Amino acid sequence: MLTAAIKPKKRVIFLYLLIPMAVYIFVVFIPLVAAFFYSFFEWKGGPNKTFIGFGNYAALIKDTTFWESFGHNMYIVIACIIGQVGLAFVFAMMISSRLVRLKGIHRTFCFFPNTISAVSIGFIWTMIYDYRRGILNWFLKLIGRPDMVKVWLNEPDLVLPLISIPLIWQYIGFYMVIIISAIASVDKEIFEVAELDGANGIQRAFHIVLPLIKNTLLVCVTLCIAGNMKVFDHIFVMTAGGPGNASNVMAMYGYKIAFDQQNMGYGTTISLAIFVLSMTVIGGSQVLVKILTKEKETL
Amino acid sequence: MKRTMCLTLALSFLLTGMIFAGGSQDQSASLSSGTSASGLTYTGDLEIMHFSTSEESEGNGGSEGLRKMLNDWDSDEGRINLVQTILANDEYKKQIAVLAAANDLPDVFLLQGMNTKAWVEQGLVLDMTEIINDSPYADQYDTSKFFPFSANGKVYGLPVLTGGTCSVVVYDSKAWKDAGYDSFPETWDEVVAASEYFNSMGVDTISFGNSGKWQINSCFLSTIGNRFTGSDWFYSLIEKSGASFTDQDFVDALKFTQDIFASGVFNPDFNAVNNEDARELYIAGESAAFIGGNWDVSYIQATLDGTDLYDTTKFAVLPQPEGATGAYKTHDIGLGFAVAINPRLKDDPAKLEAAINLAYKMTGADFASYVGENYALGGVTKVGSLDLSKFDQYTQDFYNFSYVDNEPCDIYDSFISSAVWDVLNTDLQTMLNGHIDPETVAKNAQAAYLANY
Amino acid sequence: MIMSSSNGIEDTIVLDRIPEAGIRGEKILSSLSRRVQSVILNGILGLFSITCIFPLVWLFYSSLKLKRNFNSNIIGLPKEPTFENYIRIMTNPDYHIWSSMVNSARNTVMSVALIIFFGFIVGYILARIRFRGNFLIKVMFLLGLVIPVYSLMVPIYVLFSRAGLSNKWFTLVIPYLAFGLPIAIFLVDGYIRAVPKELEEAAAIDGSSFTRTLFQIIMPLSTPILVTIGIIQTFSCWNEFVFALLLLKRQSIQTVPLAMTQFTGQFSSDYPKIMAALLLTMSPIIVFYFVFSRQIIKGMVSGAVKG
Repeated sequence: MLTAAIKPKKRVIFLYLLIPMAVYIFVVFIPLVAAFFYSFFEWKGGPNKTFIGFGNYAALIKDTTFWESFGHNMYIVIACIIGQVGLAFVFAMMISSRLVRLKGIHRTFCFFPNTISAVSIGFIWTMIYDYRRGILNWFLKLIGRPDMVKVWLNEPDLVLPLISIPLIWQYIGFYMVIIISAIASVDKEIFEVAELDGANGIQRAFHIVLPLIKNTLLVCVTLCIAGNMKVFDHIFVMTAGGPGNASNVMAMYGYKIAFDQQNMGYGTTISLAIFVLSMTVIGGSQVLVKILTKEKETL
Repeated sequence: MKRTMCLTLALSFLLTGMIFAGGSQDQSASLSSGTSASGLTYTGDLEIMHFSTSEESEGNGGSEGLRKMLNDWDSDEGRINLVQTILANDEYKKQIAVLAAANDLPDVFLLQGMNTKAWVEQGLVLDMTEIINDSPYADQYDTSKFFPFSANGKVYGLPVLTGGTCSVVVYDSKAWKDAGYDSFPETWDEVVAASEYFNSMGVDTISFGNSGKWQINSCFLSTIGNRFTGSDWFYSLIEKSGASFTDQDFVDALKFTQDIFASGVFNPDFNAVNNEDARELYIAGESAAFIGGNWDVSYIQATLDGTDLYDTTKFAVLPQPEGATGAYKTHDIGLGFAVAINPRLKDDPAKLEAAINLAYKMTGADFASYVGENYALGGVTKVGSLDLSKFDQYTQDFYNFSYVDNEPCDIYDSFISSAVWDVLNTDLQTMLNGHIDPETVAKNAQAAYLANY
Repeated sequence: MIMSSSNGIEDTIVLDRIPEAGIRGEKILSSLSRRVQSVILNGILGLFSITCIFPLVWLFYSSLKLKRNFNSNIIGLPKEPTFENYIRIMTNPDYHIWSSMVNSARNTVMSVALIIFFGFIVGYILARIRFRGNFLIKVMFLLGLVIPVYSLMVPIYVLFSRAGLSNKWFTLVIPYLAFGLPIAIFLVDGYIRAVPKELEEAAAIDGSSFTRTLFQIIMPLSTPILVTIGIIQTFSCWNEFVFALLLLKRQSIQTVPLAMTQFTGQFSSDYPKIMAALLLTMSPIIVFYFVFSRQIIKGMVSGAVKG
């Protein structure tokens, strides 16, 4: 069975991988190694650097603002796994139901927020949350609850869920198209009878479709964690991390250190920490999923 | 697999080393022959980076004037190709920080006051003391404006654009007359008293926007702090000669700031809207006054011109807080950026000469008369007395407010270090929400000051 | 570790049970509860679709307002619609909006084509072929997903300018490809793992070479995920800002997001004008997206593997 098509020669693999690997190493890996190198220096403002060993790392461990930001990232990651991937899966299942009309339009429209830049999304939602003219407060007054009117983005306890909502809203369509295309790889006939109809249908969605597209869902979760561990633009536009540090996230903190405070050495240390933490969380999620699916299999 | 990994790592390190360690800077001297109209011998490209985008220049006299000077110079010096990189202000600051860190600044650029010390220490900016002394406008320069761009007794930039106040109360004199005040109150106690009247009318007393976090520092605390501490305290902070953010006077200023923002004088969403939204409240008549900077004043002018509110709009300095012992009629004003030259140009005297000539042009008499005559604004160069009579009342009032009636004080974030202000501004926003106390804010700022300056 | 494949026997067993279950369920459902369900399902999806498209509508009618009218009422329809903003953008030579659109289009097309091509190859190899370094390569690409771009700005700037790659017409394709590859690779990897191996085995028995199998058998099968990657990457390349700011100085090669910054002043922002510019610059891809949405969706759901 192991013929050339399934197990090609090493040379063939090497040739196929050469160009993408070379470009990738050039753009991503070399700067990363450079950043690692820089993280051992005090490097403020201009080009001069002073070697300080693990000084930046020692500072990082004691930096409460950073760890607070990490906590915010974790909050957003969890909210988005449930909101983005979870809802995308539900919506994908709903769209596949025979009861739903205008499927094409839903698919086209739901993806639309992805075409808009993050900065514009942030801007649009700032308008929704606006104290005076915003849709949210307008709606609350309309339904006779003016007591609930708030300066939404200035509430330290509410600001994290409030900035998570636009993120979820924008990316549901993104994960939806991925899930739909994964579902498409499953035999259509099988899928159509497994459509969502009643509690029975929901059960089928989980028992039949979920295992079939498990790998794609795992990719979605990985993408979701990766994306939200470095989330930046939306929050930058909406709150710039405020009020105070209540909605600060790691990437924004690193950005502020590197550019607003012009402390490049510490800024690169933070970004290294971001991806060490991201890798850890992604790895953790894989292990978790493995344990969960193992349990299911034994049941 | 191990071997692949080792190989990849080794290769990466090698490549990294090759690319980052050896910085060969090829500075090819350009050939020059003949002279231009102004006697410049340089031929070739001259790079400049600035942030006067065409959008910015609409309604902003300094910005428009600068664009005109640059374009005039470019067409006068036909043999020199002026390469302009124009980015919006935020992007400019980001990009210039990258270029500074990569030691790849353009030939001519705009230096921000608070970066001066750090960049000078790193040799990123040319000492311009002699150049300024040799300038054809040397005796016309307002030398006090050089202060933010000075270090170790030398000057490193020619202040550019126009000097404008960063904290001005823009108020509707009619609304305040109705409230029983002939002019804007001189003390905050009176403002608080007046706020009862305005609240009953359903309008905010003063609108302010601090979502960007810098506004509270530039447009409020720089002036209020000065009222409590006096100027010497801040000089001492700049000179590192003893003053501290935890000094009682400054903590009092913070305490006052927290209290006044908690008093209900300002719009409730001041921490969630920016200055642009806040001034819209004033324009729409939803607030009786607004605190902002000269950029807001010119926007309000462009927007309100021709309305009743335009005619009744007046300007005042921030009222005096209770317990403040400093001078009352003060506002923070200055030039935030200066034209600076890359020291690498020393290797190419002809090019340096061209860059110097350009710097003179951008900040000299041509620029000053242009913005004076067209906008009643002033730059670093003083040109004769301005004939104010051809301007309308609003422009005249604002000119007098800025340059005649009141005393200048320093803009905090033109000095020291961005790291300090970033920490302070973030804490201030939290403090205004009542979640940390002024003592902690002062303590954190002092820690950042000791660590970064 | 990253993406383990475990489909196979277990799935086949499940599949066999479905038809019966489906038919039984359908019989139980009364037509009334079906209608209620239909209303709920259509209602939820309809509502969500509306919120998704509303921003476009809002952007459009707001761009017909002048700054003053917008600021006094940001949600309402324009009382006196005007094309003033569009005229001012198109007639101002400083905005160089047309050349920036051409640049963006070129960058996007080139980048997306390369991302799809290489993403497919690498994704397939990582999913199917076991060789030493497979896992290592996967982890390396995973790294690319979690790197906050802002933090690498200085090293990347230095790298590109030392290597003489800044300020070229093709400059942006390099980072777009590099940062687009990880997502593409993982999507292809996840997709291929769900495709039965028998296809390749059959092809191998027929004597098809690796390359032929890859492009003539696997690639058509992978259309749904490749189209999906194409859509996702088109918009992210079109909207990308950080690299464009970092690596391009010459105005003649600037892309749309960079040209857009010319619309924002330091202290004043003319929102309706920004919106007009946004719509104008987004229009090529919006039109493309809506015109071809049928084909795109067809592509996305076309590759169902039989058996």
